[in-house]
Amino acid sequence: MSEIPVLKGNTKKQRYESLVAALYQDVFRYAFWICKSKPMAEDLVQETFLRAWRSLESLQNDKAAKAWLFTILRRENARQYERYRPELVDIDGQSIAESASNEPDSKMDRELLHNAINRLESEYREPLLLQVIGGFSGKEIAEILKLNNNTVMTRLFRARGKLKAEFGLNTELHED
Amino acid sequence: MDELEFQKRVSANPRDLDDEVLAAVRANPDFQKIVDKALAFEDSLVSLIEAPEAPEGLLAQLLSIPGNDELESEKVPQAHSNVSPIRAKKQSYFQYYSVAASLILAVGIVFSLNFNGGPSSADIVFGNELLAHLHHDIEEIDDITNGETYEILDLDEINFSMANAGTRLVSYDGTQGFDVRSAKPCEILPAYQSAHLVLKGSYGAVSVIVINNSPVDVKFSIRDERFNGIVVPMEQGNMILVGEKNEDLNQYASMFSENVEWVI
Repeated sequence: MSEIPVLKGNTKKQRYESLVAALYQDVFRYAFWICKSKPMAEDLVQETFLRAWRSLESLQNDKAAKAWLFTILRRENARQYERYRPELVDIDGQSIAESASNEPDSKMDRELLHNAINRLESEYREPLLLQVIGGFSGKEIAEILKLNNNTVMTRLFRARGKLKAEFGLNTELHED
Repeated sequence: MDELEFQKRVSANPRDLDDEVLAAVRANPDFQKIVDKALAFEDSLVSLIEAPEAPEGLLAQLLSIPGNDELESEKVPQAHSNVSPIRAKKQSYFQYYSVAASLILAVGIVFSLNFNGGPSSADIVFGNELLAHLHHDIEEIDDITNGETYEILDLDEINFSMANAGTRLVSYDGTQGFDVRSAKPCEILPAYQSAHLVLKGSYGAVSVIVINNSPVDVKFSIRDERFNGIVVPMEQGNMILVGEKNEDLNQYASMFSENVEWVI
């Protein structure tokens, strides 16, 4: 299950600020993965929180805050960026270069993994990123993607199967 | 539960095993190996899939949204009260997208020359607008590339056009390797004046565009199927150099940056 933020405060502004503080890093990481560019991810996160601020009253259940934000973000991404997306060379250069570990094996694995995930069809990539980056359960992913739970579980299973195939059957990246 | 179903359920959600799966492990100890393997893969996956931290300053920007939004609501007429500073920026951003999309003269690739930070989204859009503008002037560029007769301009003629962008060339004698064959005012971004010079380079025409918009965050490169270019931030605007694939644009960047003076 994803962690549940506590929206503190009595005023709308206080609730919004606690929402930002609790979740902006998670939202940014997910945004970065789906639009593959830091500047675009930053814009997307700003737009997401702007919309969240304007419709904060519609969030009736704090427990659903994270899924609510991710849903706004996915909609914004689809609406704004998927119509026109310049071809960028950002993700390999930045995400790998800026990662904490730059040991050759780790860096190579990271690069292979990024490429493998980017090659996944979106129907597999989306639930996988929601699970691994967003920390959502299968049920939450089903709600966000408006799919039934069994479909989500099948797609998660296949997504991991495809990634494993990229690194050799039944191996765990560099764990063996 | 058979082994295939067990594998499927464990692999789909290794960190959140349901009661049925846990009961199956208790009933069949061999299933524990499947769980261990799935968790090991998951550990590797999570450790490698990490994304970068949010940029410095993003938190402050997000926290300022309520104040900006309310301020903007007070400033603009009710009919436009859904426009905030961020929104306003984005509308122009996507307005540029739609213009570029309608022209479809060039699909460019923009990438940073500075690995400490890439171009912003607005810079990327700007880069594509520049390439689209080049294709708008393609006839003249082709003529100069093909050696059609164009007289070398003198400093006054060049500066007449440069003044449109609030700049001037301090010195130019046409013998320093940059012989300007065309100079004219142009409009690439609405509300920002610019000047477009075209030189005869080693591999064809070289365009030098000076525009008095906000300097881009970092020097970055643009290209499409024909042209290569660089966008160089300057004191009060940007200088853009675009040429054929093999052209050494940096030499022109050096020559012009030393000779361009902002006069506004």
